[in-house]
Amino acid sequence: MIQILASLLILLGSFFVFSAGLGLLRMPDPLTRIQAGTKATTLGALLVLTGLSILHPERLLLYLLIVAFVFISNPISSHALARAAARRAARDDAASGDASDPA
Amino acid sequence: MTGRSIHVAVSLLALAGLALACARIVAGHVEPVALGELAAGYMRLSPEELTVPNVVTGILLAYRSFDTLGEVAVLFMVAASLGPLLQPMDGAPAPRPVRPMPPASEIVESGHHLLMPFIATFGAYVILNGHLSAGGGFQGGAIVASGVGLFMIVRVGTPVDTRALSVGESMAGVLFVAIGALGLVLGGGFLDPRILPGGELGRFVSGGTIPIVSALLGIKVAAELSVVLQRFRS
Repeated sequence: MIQILASLLILLGSFFVFSAGLGLLRMPDPLTRIQAGTKATTLGALLVLTGLSILHPERLLLYLLIVAFVFISNPISSHALARAAARRAARDDAASGDASDPA
Repeated sequence: MTGRSIHVAVSLLALAGLALACARIVAGHVEPVALGELAAGYMRLSPEELTVPNVVTGILLAYRSFDTLGEVAVLFMVAASLGPLLQPMDGAPAPRPVRPMPPASEIVESGHHLLMPFIATFGAYVILNGHLSAGGGFQGGAIVASGVGLFMIVRVGTPVDTRALSVGESMAGVLFVAIGALGLVLGGGFLDPRILPGGELGRFVSGGTIPIVSALLGIKVAAELSVVLQRFRS
C-alpha cells in the first residue's frame, strides 16, 4: 500500500517534470517559459524525492540535501533569467521609441 | 486541397511509415536473458584484472582508452575552432556596440556564494570517484565547468584567462598521453592501467593509473568547456 503511494508520488512528479519540458517548448514568450521550466521542475523534483524517501527511508538525509539544492538553485536561476528577459524587453521598448523606465 | 491539409497528410503518412518500421523492430525484439559474450567478458575482467568495480570506467579508461583520447581530442578541436569561427568575417558589417552589462543582482551574487563550494566539491568528487561509482573525468569536468559558468554570470566584467586554461589543458593532455606511453612500455599496451599496483577492490586508491588518468581527463574537460563558455561570452 505504502509502495503504491510512493510510486504514485513519483509518477505525479515525473508528470510535472514532463509538463515543464512541454511548457519550455510550447509557451509563447520567455517569462512564461521560465515559469514552466523552473516552477514545475521544483514541484516535480520534490514529489519524486518524496516518493523515493518513502521507498528508501535510510537515504532520507541525502534526499533532503538534494531537495535543498533544488530549492535554492531553481529560484536563483529563474530570477536571473527573468531579470535578463525584463531588461531585454525594456531595452527593445526603448529602441522602438516607447517611453519606458529601464528595469 | 489547401497547403495546410497537404502538410497534415504528408505528416500522417510519414508517421505511419515510421510506425510500420518501428513495429517490425519491436515485433522482432527478444529480451536478452543473459549478457552477451563481450559484455560478460568485461563484467568479469574489469573487477578482476583492473580492480575497478565500475565496469564503464574500466572500459572507457583501459580497454577503450584510445577512443576516449580521441573524444577528448574532438572536444579540444571544438574549443580551439570556436575562436576563429566566432570572429566577424572580413567585410561583414561591424557588430552593434554592446552596451556594458549591468552587474548581477544581489540574489544571484548570494546564491553564487552559497552554491559555488558545493558545485566545486561535487565536481571533484565525481572526477575522483569515477573508478568506484558512477562518474568520471568527463562528467565531473562538465560539473566544474558549470561552476565556471556560474562565476561568469556573477562576475560580469571579469575575463577568464583562456591562455592559462589552455596551458593547464595541454599539460593534462601531455601527461595523459605520457601515462599511455608508459603503459605501452611497461604494461600490456597503450594506457594499460596495471603499471601501478591494482590495490584492493573498492578502495579509493586502487585500479592502477585509472584514478590519475580520470583526474587528468577531468582537468582537461573542465578547461576545454570553460574555454568554450568564455568564447561565447566575449
